[in-house]
Amino acid sequence: MSASTHDRYARLTALRPARRLDTPPCEEAGIPAGFMPDVPEGAEHLARLLGAEPRRNRFGEHLALRRWFPGPAVTSSEITPPEGTIDDSLLRLLAPSAPKEAADPRQWLFLDTETTGLAGGSGTYAFLVGLAWWDAGGLEVEQLFLREHSEEHSLLVALSERLAERPVLVTFNGKTFDWPLLETRYRMTRSIPLPAPRAHLDFLHPARNLWRAQLGSVRLAELERHVLSWNRGTDVMSELIPSIYFDFLRGGPPAPLIPIFRHNQMDLQGLAALACRVLSLLADPVQQGRDALEVWGVSRICERRGDAARARTFYERSVALDLPPEADRAARRSLALLAKRGGDFSRAVELWNGLAGSSRAGLEAYEQLAVHYEHHERQPQRAAAVVRQALAELRKAARLGTLAPSACERHKAQFERRLARLDRKVGRMFPEEGSGRGVSP
Amino acid sequence: MAPSAQGLAVKEKSTLDTVQDALTALAGRYRTDEVLTSVKHIPALEAQYRPMPSWVHPDLAEAYRARGIEKLYSHQAAAADMAHEGKNVVVVTPTASGKTLCYNLPVLNAVLEDPDTRALYLFPTKALAQDQLAELHEMAQRLGDCFGTFTYDGDTPADAREAIRERGHVILTNPDMLHTGILPHHTKWMRLFENLRYIVMDELHTYRGVFGSHLANVLRRLARIADFYGSKPQFICSSATIANPAELARRLTEREVATVEESGAPAAEKVFVFYNPPVVNRNLGIRRSCLNESARVAKELLSRKLQTIVFANSRLHTEVLLTYLQQTNPPAAGGPQPIRGYRGGYLPGERREIERGLREGRVRGVVATNALELGIDIGSLDACVMAGYAGSIASTWQRAGRAGRRSGTSCAILVASSSPLDQYIVQHPDYFFGRSAEQACIQPDNLEILVNHLKCAAFELPIGPREQFGSADIQELCARLAEAGYLHRSGESWHWVQDAYPADTVSLRSVSSDNFVIVNTRGGDVSNPEVIGEVDFSSALTTVHPKAIYLHQGQQYHVDRLDFDQRKAYVRPVDTDYYTDAVRYTQVRVLDPAEEERIAGPAVRAHGDVLVRSQVIGFKKIKFFTNENVGDGKLELPENEMHTTAFWITLERGLLDSLPFPLSDRQSGIFGLLHALESMAALLLMCDRRDIGTAVGERPGGASSEAAWQDAPAAIRNPSEMQEFFEPNLYLYDAYPGGIGFSEPLFRACELLLRKTRELIEGCPCESGCPSCVGPAGEKSERVKEAALAILACLCAQRDEAQETSRLRRRG
Repeated sequence: MSASTHDRYARLTALRPARRLDTPPCEEAGIPAGFMPDVPEGAEHLARLLGAEPRRNRFGEHLALRRWFPGPAVTSSEITPPEGTIDDSLLRLLAPSAPKEAADPRQWLFLDTETTGLAGGSGTYAFLVGLAWWDAGGLEVEQLFLREHSEEHSLLVALSERLAERPVLVTFNGKTFDWPLLETRYRMTRSIPLPAPRAHLDFLHPARNLWRAQLGSVRLAELERHVLSWNRGTDVMSELIPSIYFDFLRGGPPAPLIPIFRHNQMDLQGLAALACRVLSLLADPVQQGRDALEVWGVSRICERRGDAARARTFYERSVALDLPPEADRAARRSLALLAKRGGDFSRAVELWNGLAGSSRAGLEAYEQLAVHYEHHERQPQRAAAVVRQALAELRKAARLGTLAPSACERHKAQFERRLARLDRKVGRMFPEEGSGRGVSP
Repeated sequence: MAPSAQGLAVKEKSTLDTVQDALTALAGRYRTDEVLTSVKHIPALEAQYRPMPSWVHPDLAEAYRARGIEKLYSHQAAAADMAHEGKNVVVVTPTASGKTLCYNLPVLNAVLEDPDTRALYLFPTKALAQDQLAELHEMAQRLGDCFGTFTYDGDTPADAREAIRERGHVILTNPDMLHTGILPHHTKWMRLFENLRYIVMDELHTYRGVFGSHLANVLRRLARIADFYGSKPQFICSSATIANPAELARRLTEREVATVEESGAPAAEKVFVFYNPPVVNRNLGIRRSCLNESARVAKELLSRKLQTIVFANSRLHTEVLLTYLQQTNPPAAGGPQPIRGYRGGYLPGERREIERGLREGRVRGVVATNALELGIDIGSLDACVMAGYAGSIASTWQRAGRAGRRSGTSCAILVASSSPLDQYIVQHPDYFFGRSAEQACIQPDNLEILVNHLKCAAFELPIGPREQFGSADIQELCARLAEAGYLHRSGESWHWVQDAYPADTVSLRSVSSDNFVIVNTRGGDVSNPEVIGEVDFSSALTTVHPKAIYLHQGQQYHVDRLDFDQRKAYVRPVDTDYYTDAVRYTQVRVLDPAEEERIAGPAVRAHGDVLVRSQVIGFKKIKFFTNENVGDGKLELPENEMHTTAFWITLERGLLDSLPFPLSDRQSGIFGLLHALESMAALLLMCDRRDIGTAVGERPGGASSEAAWQDAPAAIRNPSEMQEFFEPNLYLYDAYPGGIGFSEPLFRACELLLRKTRELIEGCPCESGCPSCVGPAGEKSERVKEAALAILACLCAQRDEAQETSRLRRRG
């Protein structure tokens, strides 16, 4: 570059005074700017520190670290690796279209990545790929690490090999985050074929159904603490992970990476433990469920996967226990619909009568009751009476302000239309009982 | 003559007559040639046809035949042939000449021949993409749905995106979405990029200045990614008529591009009228208001049952005109409102209803902003009234084209405002109707813009050791980006090492991402502040300084506080009868002249790199309409330095000595001339006045400048103390850091610029200077206009004199 372009660039960067550029982290770490060795100085040091070793294949080299964790020590709760294949009906609840081999936990490959950002896109790298599988009554963890961007090819080939050995991918939020990101990485190579897992079990979705109501958030560390009663202790903050790695790339010391390796190991252990907990809950919620909400969660999963029989059983169980009011209403509402679909109208009517009120579920219950009396019992007068009751309830809610005015108006209009129709129907069926509105003698 | 034919003839004649009647009614009271500066009758043009090319797939030919297209206009055939041969091509045609077929024909033909073929269409706005989508859907239906076509923009629902990536043969999008949504996620678009054969760019002339310079870099990124996936797409572009379509296309795409300029489309008969509101104060050069006169014109047309569209240049003006026209054209008892407004901010349903009303004739008149300029189908109206010049010839024709798109006589009336551009246009119809002199300029190698896109490029694909990206030495730039913590070198390539996403922070509409946010506090209700806009760093100090009146969508806001560090301006809505004009002291220092040449005068024209130092030291309050100065204030704001490019003219001592004026008149003449030069430069470059800065400085403007800088603010406040320039430089600089490509074209067009400026000042009927020519009278001397013209006379002296002089210096 000519001296003049050099100057121009210098002038250009000097143009805007006040706003700071993102502070180059290398300065903080005391590394002279522009110091860029081809292999980080600390790489060997890192290998020694971690007990990792370079792994070589036809695409080059990367670092790999193996460690075995004994099963029962994974968490303080009594979690052990599943024995034998899991029941097919359980597998359907997790992944309805998964092939049979997914039921064999020996085929499972737990996966969790540490990345250079959360936004995705082709410039985000997975610099640490953590893998784990059940082995000898415990969990074998293997971590693949990029000491340099140029080692990515060899890392991806290693991942493909592991996935060929155990083709069922098990993740936490991997369907949305980790796996699409790895797909991008494979495509960026233009040479290494994208491996195709036989199945992908993502435990985020069941975790949401089971625990969001209790915990508000379903972050893995949160679940470990509250569901598995396991406290991680000190852990690196996820937001700092990319910059710690960038510091290392720029020649920083390797020691700050160690907490990231540990974090990734804990994520894998937590995931494996969580998977066990979800499986045992799904298998026997009545025995395994710690509270009514967990049982309710299982019923929701069963309902979503179309297992109506089990869904009804566990909903009944959860309402018999002590659910918080909102969950109780939701459970009874679902239960009533399942009962109706199953032809058990008396149970449905019973539930609707219990629900009827000015809540959303309550108004829906009135509506369901009206439909039931009109079409199933063929008693339009009774249906009309239910609707009048609903309208009275709405008037009260409007007066007390317990329902938003717009919602109030909407429901009111719906019920009034229904009532008008019912009144006409009653008039046609029983002209002599016409409510005195100008029926000619 | 058969009765029916006679009836038709009578009707044809009466449209022309009706317009004539309306014009007589409007201008009868005044000296007609002063008000109607041009009444141009444009006769109908016959179509030039060519047969459907033999290479067109029979199914495609059949599909077009079913739409009533059996043969092509000559330019369609020429463009499609070139595209089919594999050339990059730009079609330059008037509105409604069937340009979409120029690209749809070769693209769909390629898709029919190889169903893997993919094409990417870029439109400057979402509305245009929607319009094209309808046409492509119709073609897809006729072709048995053998190809998929989708728009992909910010409105595309997330769950539809995957299907679009897999199944879309033709993807319609805009540059911003390509920049932030597609390129950074190219692995998801593998099928598109592996098979990308065509890139279609419509309305190419809109990609100029900052936006165009960004787009050129986005296309560089696109080319890298296409190359990565092994495709080499070909460009098919269309542009409105400008002076340099081929050059623009070449600079944007960095490929050789062939042009097709002869339109074979038929055109209907049209009357194009320039209406200059009558002068009410000859001394101050004040004319009747453009808005009121536009309303009068529209009223005359509407009262003669001509369906009329009225264009205004701002939302506020739209509302004013609408109110007026609705009052004078009340709906029939119980009938629908015959006059409607149409602008951004109306709901889509409302817009569709108005469009339908126009097509069906229920709506008799519509007042619109440029929201209706492009693409939207409203059928053919009888008349178009433009309240003020649209800023470029291309968009003026586009607006005029909304009346009489296909057949029948129509009329377009441009009502001039008192701005220099408007006045120049209506007083020099030849400039408008002759060969276009408008240049679309870009500077893709603007370092700040280029570096931003280099970051995006590194995020998309690591940057290899032998890569090219514009003219910059990118290895050096990458090393600097690595120092700043953005990139890391591994192996031979540079990789992105930030967790942020670079495209998100780069807007294609401004040079740097360092913007000031305008916060509306609603007069103290700080609990609920609202961000109403952004201004970029370079214009913030002049537009949102404390006590400034900031205009946003026709509403005035008073700037209560400027938080320089947080980059925020706090404003509240007000209703005042004045606006503010920042008093800025600007000093330009030449860093590196690229070319210098002596011209008549004696004078020198030059362009090159400059350093602009400026400080806002105060402001004036200017009353609307009369432009009176009604007060001023002092400001203490930080000074600002900018490295950019400039074009300048040096007036040598000999020239100044030859002028028969005292010092103060000479100085006023210099500033007046610069004001007029700026207007004409904006005209030639199709840019906003804000895009160009002006300054006067001493040649050589070097070492002594630090002292001069310190004294200058005082001198500005008291012009009589201003020292005399020995040999002044008149600078027109690009108002963006790094320059945006205006300076060299101005240097080349110097002679044209001077001639146009002379025509502007000479043609202005004011006595001694007005805002339409040399700037508002008042502070300047009475002979400012005279002096400016005298300088111009020297500069425009015989060309042969200039030719004797030789080029001083030329740098590659």
